[in-house]
Amino acid sequence: MKFKIFTLLAALAFCGSAAAWLEGGGERDEALDLEPDLENGLDVYEVCSGCHLPEGWGKKDGTFPQLAGQHRSVLIKQLADIREGNRDNPTMYPFALPRAIGEAQSLADVVAYTEKLPMNPDNGKGEWPAGTPEFDMGKKLYEDNCVECHGKDGEGSAEKFYPKIHGQHYAYMLRQFEWVRDGKRRNANPDMVEQIKSFSNKDMQAVINYVSRIPVPKEDLAPSADWTNPDFD
Amino acid sequence: MKPVNPIIISLAMLASIMLATPALAADGAQLYKTKTCFTCHGKDGKTPILDTYPKIAGQNPAYSLQQMKDIKSGARANGLSAAMKGVMHLVNDDEMKALAEYIATL
Repeated sequence: MKFKIFTLLAALAFCGSAAAWLEGGGERDEALDLEPDLENGLDVYEVCSGCHLPEGWGKKDGTFPQLAGQHRSVLIKQLADIREGNRDNPTMYPFALPRAIGEAQSLADVVAYTEKLPMNPDNGKGEWPAGTPEFDMGKKLYEDNCVECHGKDGEGSAEKFYPKIHGQHYAYMLRQFEWVRDGKRRNANPDMVEQIKSFSNKDMQAVINYVSRIPVPKEDLAPSADWTNPDFD
Repeated sequence: MKPVNPIIISLAMLASIMLATPALAADGAQLYKTKTCFTCHGKDGKTPILDTYPKIAGQNPAYSLQQMKDIKSGARANGLSAAMKGVMHLVNDDEMKALAEYIATL
């Protein structure tokens, strides 16, 4: 219910320009309100696992993002955006269609399944470890520009559809950040586009490097990078 | 010019064979899975996820290989090739060759 209220408020507040960021109604709200069935979520996830892997960890090189642990609301929004043509991703597109993953109930089920998967303890990181000037530069940029929405530890906000970004692969985040900045990611939050418009490429690399190195809470991580998803035995 | 030690020549030849071997031995079936080909074209190469995607099983390897190369390089950018372009950095020339040969056997 709170999602519906937020969506309504968002629609009222940003009428027009922000429609591409968060359109209310339809299967997005429907999926958020449905009681998820994890067993069906696993069945639906099988098609996704071809690229995102059974563990939901994606690829370290950033080709495919990590989905494990991501807020359900965020993934419902992205899936709905891709299938409605509001986010361009030609490779992903057919997999977001009802033919591949079903209707609203299946959306609810599959994202509930991935949200519970333990996260990759060895995500792809930028090249600058703590102690380097670039790391410090990224940390400062993060604190000045990103904390308000993505949180001090990169945890995002399920309620506001802000993605969890800690633990995500560096190369994936860098690509998405660049697309948000340059207008290619059409479903981006206009507040973010505005916030990062003056970022240079170096700023972008530094801040994403920092984010890729924010520690993920231990309880959200798989016991080791060799962990395999037992549901796929 | 100093004569080149035949042992060095042999070692160089051996090294080049060893470098080439993994590619020649690349398992097309394994690549077809790990490089995500099956997700769109189907495990059998004839059940694509969209009706607008091609069945590729049994295709002539030379044709498949050329299409893969052209989509990867951007020489072919028409139709729905953008969907495949997104993953083509995952394969090199030798892997594409192994894939083309495997697809022909499906």
